[in-house]
Amino acid sequence: MIRNVRYDAIVIGGGVNGLTCAALLGKAGQRTLLLERRDVVGGCAAEHELAPGFRVPTLAHRTGPLRSDVVDGLRLNEFGLSFMPAPIRFTALSERGPALAIHADVAKAAEAIRPCSVKDAASWPAFARSLSQVAGVAASLFARTPPDVDDAGTEDLWTLMRAARAFRALARDDQWRLLRWGPMAVADLVSEVFETELLRAAVAADGLLGTMLGPWSAGSGLQLVLHEANRSVGASTDSEVEGGPAAVARALGGAAARHGVDVRTGAEVAEILVSKDRAAGVRLASGETFEARAIVSGVDPKRTFGGLCDAEHLPPEFLWRIKHLRARGVLAKVNLALSALPAVTGATRDMLASPMRIAPSLDYLERAFDHAKYGEWSPEPWIEFVIPSVADTSLAPRGAHVLSAYVQWVPNHTGSRELGTGSRMAREAGLREPDDKGLLGNVVDTLDRYAPGLKGLVTAAELITPADLERGWSLTGGHIFHGELTLDQAFTMRPLLGYGNYRTPIPGLYLCGSGTHPGTGLTGGSGANAARVIIEALH
Amino acid sequence: MKYDAIVIGGGHNGLTCAAYLARARKRVLVLERRHVLGGAAVTEEVFPGFKFSVCSYVVSLLRPEIIRDLDLPSHGMELLPLDGTFTPMPSGDYLWRVNDHEKTRREIARHSRLDADAYDEYGRAMVEMGRFAKPILSMTPPDPTSLDPRGLLELLGMGKRFRGMRSHDRINQVQLLTMSAVDFLDQWFETDVLKATMSASGIIGTFLGVRSPGTAYVLLHHYMGEIDGSFRSWGLSRGGTGAVSNAIGDAARGFGAEIRTKSPVAKILTKNGRATGVALENGDEFRADVVVSSVDPRLTFERWIGEKELPSDFIEAVRRYKFRGSSGKVNLALDGLPNFTCLPGAGPHLRGAVSISPSVDYMERAYDDAKYGRFSRRPYMDIVIPSLTDTSLAPPGRHVMSCFVQYAPYDLRGGDWDSQREAFGDAVIDTIAEYAPNIKDLILHRQVLTPLDIEREFGLSEGNIFQGELTLEQLFFLRPVPGWAQYTTPIRSLYMCGSATHPGGGIMGAPGKNAAERILGR
Repeated sequence: MIRNVRYDAIVIGGGVNGLTCAALLGKAGQRTLLLERRDVVGGCAAEHELAPGFRVPTLAHRTGPLRSDVVDGLRLNEFGLSFMPAPIRFTALSERGPALAIHADVAKAAEAIRPCSVKDAASWPAFARSLSQVAGVAASLFARTPPDVDDAGTEDLWTLMRAARAFRALARDDQWRLLRWGPMAVADLVSEVFETELLRAAVAADGLLGTMLGPWSAGSGLQLVLHEANRSVGASTDSEVEGGPAAVARALGGAAARHGVDVRTGAEVAEILVSKDRAAGVRLASGETFEARAIVSGVDPKRTFGGLCDAEHLPPEFLWRIKHLRARGVLAKVNLALSALPAVTGATRDMLASPMRIAPSLDYLERAFDHAKYGEWSPEPWIEFVIPSVADTSLAPRGAHVLSAYVQWVPNHTGSRELGTGSRMAREAGLREPDDKGLLGNVVDTLDRYAPGLKGLVTAAELITPADLERGWSLTGGHIFHGELTLDQAFTMRPLLGYGNYRTPIPGLYLCGSGTHPGTGLTGGSGANAARVIIEALH
Repeated sequence: MKYDAIVIGGGHNGLTCAAYLARARKRVLVLERRHVLGGAAVTEEVFPGFKFSVCSYVVSLLRPEIIRDLDLPSHGMELLPLDGTFTPMPSGDYLWRVNDHEKTRREIARHSRLDADAYDEYGRAMVEMGRFAKPILSMTPPDPTSLDPRGLLELLGMGKRFRGMRSHDRINQVQLLTMSAVDFLDQWFETDVLKATMSASGIIGTFLGVRSPGTAYVLLHHYMGEIDGSFRSWGLSRGGTGAVSNAIGDAARGFGAEIRTKSPVAKILTKNGRATGVALENGDEFRADVVVSSVDPRLTFERWIGEKELPSDFIEAVRRYKFRGSSGKVNLALDGLPNFTCLPGAGPHLRGAVSISPSVDYMERAYDDAKYGRFSRRPYMDIVIPSLTDTSLAPPGRHVMSCFVQYAPYDLRGGDWDSQREAFGDAVIDTIAEYAPNIKDLILHRQVLTPLDIEREFGLSEGNIFQGELTLEQLFFLRPVPGWAQYTTPIRSLYMCGSATHPGGGIMGAPGKNAAERILGR
């Protein structure tokens, strides 16, 4: 059955990038349909009720941050998006000593570092400046379509020239830093600058979120630079979205509706239909079909081409390359309901409102990564957690709190170690039993070492593993960025060299998800860039 | 007496540089600290009757133009084939790859038919990659931060050649530079032992594991030799690797260069920011217009020049330069041949390399030990028995066996190498004994070289066999330090020509030749 409504564009997947792309297409006057498999839009930007009265950010607990051109272009502030100051970027915890707050303000950060090391305090401002300069070059490319190296057009040359200019504009020392830092191991990078182990690990961890890399893996330096680049193109630096990632999804949903986008949830796409060598429509799992001039997949490249497209429409080498894209999910999520605010060792009230990191040393991080190489989860994981109810008391009953933790490294296919309780299970009793050797129990134990007594406050808990991300959110390999962001899978090579421009071997089929440039978490960047290309093509 | 040029260090690169300079009618003096020439490419009779290639044991990628220009065969250099790589497995099986492509294909098919097909495709792709990469070896790296049009043109030229490749070759090229050896090989192969043994070449001399990004590009080395029309890139030198150095030394002398051994340098003499000569430890001084150091940057700048003479950002960059020796060497004098359980007898498999790399996880676990400051309890090893091919190296019926061992981190935690040396040697023998149990009964003598020994004896800082890690941020225009990759230094008329310069280590000779060309202004 072919519906009579004919759309200009169909966007598959209502995650942050899909929503951004759809809203921008709608704004440009294109009749757009957005299809989301789950019951709500937002993808990884979601929240749910963990236990009666306790609301938690289901997956992401921070945004990318959201890119400023997305916020301005879609006037997201009119749809309820607002920011609150986040003076502390994150806090590095140590089991015994005081916690170290990394302030957004450079002078304050240096001041906080001083008790650890006078030398490091003196190094901080120059390091922060160089990192932001170097990241600025990467950031200058974030909003551009990666150039086509095969057949460079005027715009491609312009992009290349812009990049060359941005590079030239750097001080010579920073030019060299840019060339060196990308391929370096982030552990080497931070060790060159700092002597305090806690600070080294805390900064290095920025380069490791969601990657199958340890601090000693070459190329993790690039991740640090990209992370910083995201900050610099963010809508509002030194601040966080009020209400967390779910608020972003709500605002984007509002903007999409305002621009006339039809949003269908509970609509799982089974196949991208190709007619006369062009993408012509989609067929839902229900059998329903829709037609459009442009089909835009916000789904990851491996699933888009390996699952939604008939292989006969794709060149064999292309498929082979897609099959070998690396997307090894390593991030698990733990959400806790707490009966009271935990006492985190050495942390002040201000720090409790910031993301807190458990990574006391580079070796700790590396060891946490080691297990993943052999398909095991780490018994001493790297954890970043937030207690969002500190800023937003409505998230939990009076006096009670919710805690959200990223846990790394947890490989998708774990071998010998038992994952424990499995996914999405609120467990009120079992958790306190001393024999719980599962991953969830282990995470709570780890948290308890840095916040003594926390274990006794847990009233509900859930664990979401990469396997759950794969099943529940259709993320191939459970990878939160739709594919690892390593040197060979970035920029013009994201997802593949020759297809960095949001186009695919099938005319009329586009990509707009995190598996395309710039592709870092929850910024809307990929969706916005793709929308520009698609709008031009539809005109 | 004043020379046109003094070359510090009589290793193969120093000698190559000296030979090219002398060939251009320059008066050249080579100063070598030890009593023999060769540096790490040296043959010594460590035990009476047993001659060892003490450090470097195979000849890789020695540039054919150097062999030609210096007419090395007439100076006694003879390369002998080292055929194949034999990898014993704990399961009792083995993988034996040889130079004969068809034979190897059949052997791989025994493990996996798919992999046998992929092996052809992989070989073709790598030859293409080699074609792109080879010219880079003989190039002086441009400075991307300078506005000098010549350098920019060279970069543009590389960009053009890159664009001229077919699209899938371009992807492979980028992947080679950035991926881990295992990830790269995963795209083609499924047989674990095949991937393990192939990926091993990516970690040699680095402090990286086979799963660390940036280890893929060394896979190319194996295919670049083929294009030169020689038998692969690995060969043995008759008389040990020292014979290569001696041949280059002879060639240099033939062009009029003067070579002095037992002449340890104490200081590089400078005046007004210019190198003017060299002072030896015994007080002798030699003057020259140009001083060329084939020794690593740490010794050259921190010891022989001194930080007062150098810009502070340069000396900082030299201090940041990573050596991190990660390998050791165990040389054994044997009373017979090892007998491998999985393929008994003294067959032709012993004439090639024996690789102890039974699985990817084995390799990675060997690396994990090293990351935390221990030598690998079960190390990766590359073993050759050159006396099977070159009988002059050992008494009749007896053999020399050379075991390259990784990982052996220079910085040991909880202990020092002087107290751990024998334990390290034991771990090596125990590991071999797991595959060839008779080894323990055959050992007449053993020499264990730890990274510390390599540093002390051969002047390689932290025992790094390549004079500094071959990682992406220390390659090409970043080698040895940013801004000084053109064989020049902040001290005028002082040049570098060792493995610490582009294109790096291995008995290749390219740094020595490239530097000589730079000095001669070509």
